[in-house]
Amino acid sequence: MVESYIPLFVMILVGIIFGASNIVLTEILGPKRSTRTKLSTYESGMEPVKSARERFSVKFYLVAMIFILFDIEIVFMYPWAVQFKELGMYGFVAMILFMVLLFSGYIYVVKKGALKWD
Amino acid sequence: MNLDVILFALFAIGAVASAVFTITRRNPVAAAMSLIGHFFMLAGLYLTLHAQFVAVVQVLVYAGAIMVLVVFVIMLLNLGNEQQLTERISMRTTIGTLVAALFAMQVVTGLLARPTGVNTQHADAAMIGATAGIGNALFTTYIFPFEAVSILLLAALIGAVILAKRHLHEGI
Amino acid sequence: MLQSIPLDWYLILSAVLFVIGVIGVITRRNAIIIFMSLELMLNAVNLTMVAFSAFLGDVAGQIFVFFVMAVAAAEAAVGLAIVLALFRKKQTVYVDEVNLMKW
Repeated sequence: MVESYIPLFVMILVGIIFGASNIVLTEILGPKRSTRTKLSTYESGMEPVKSARERFSVKFYLVAMIFILFDIEIVFMYPWAVQFKELGMYGFVAMILFMVLLFSGYIYVVKKGALKWD
Repeated sequence: MNLDVILFALFAIGAVASAVFTITRRNPVAAAMSLIGHFFMLAGLYLTLHAQFVAVVQVLVYAGAIMVLVVFVIMLLNLGNEQQLTERISMRTTIGTLVAALFAMQVVTGLLARPTGVNTQHADAAMIGATAGIGNALFTTYIFPFEAVSILLLAALIGAVILAKRHLHEGI
Repeated sequence: MLQSIPLDWYLILSAVLFVIGVIGVITRRNAIIIFMSLELMLNAVNLTMVAFSAFLGDVAGQIFVFFVMAVAAAEAAVGLAIVLALFRKKQTVYVDEVNLMKW
């Protein structure tokens, strides 16, 4: 059974090796003629003005949080969708009840203006 | 040495190492990154237990959603490295490690003294771990906890919006 | 295709992971890292439940892992909102600087 995952592991391994080898090879093979202009953060672009470590707005947090809760909803919907035919009307009603409760939460979030950006 | 043992050792060592990294890093972003690695290692362990759906959900929910929220909060608060409070932190660390070591000893001796004697996975393990098996059980035997989860999520949604929204217009 | 790793190994591994989470909760000061250590502990318990589920052939363990995940997501949303509220009020996330309950 575990043997059936070997292609997956090989795929992941190839991905890691490809990414790592590209970084290492450019470091080894690439010519190093660095000047001040080349070493600047954005070559022939904007001068950096200040540190990137700045506080984010709390709006990002609200969106991420709402995403998590609806992500969980999707996780529970997936097994239901796979067994949709077998579960029939009973499963359908159960899922509708589940969705109605979460959708009322969504309406609350929208009414509260948590998704408004400005 | 067959493949199962190699995979288990790989994932187990990875999981323990990334967990230790998580609790020892002073920079919260580094801790969060190694925790993501830990979640991937656990997903691998779930695969060795034939729980495919749990493994996928583990990556989807923990590594994909919960850690995004954690990293957002770290960015939001713009936290630097944890300052050292030498004498207090050393006392806390000693006591904490002592308590935890005692606890670990208790757990491990308990496990070693009474081995479960279960050495092979159940024949149905692969069937149970598949999405279809989960769906059948979730929507028949466990239908009530399933509906209760929706109420829990609703409560969490409202609570978090109220907590975070109050000072939305005051900057952070 | 059954496998050769006994159940005890999984149980000991999850005990070790749980204890690492306990050490994190007790020794760290940063509320966010304490939160991450809590997630470590939850995951250690999840591993136990999936292991039992696979070895005993009972689906209940895996179902409960989903409920634990749902609770963890709710906990993440509310817990981190509390950390945010705390930071607004006190400008700190270090739990030992939040000791108002003492007096």
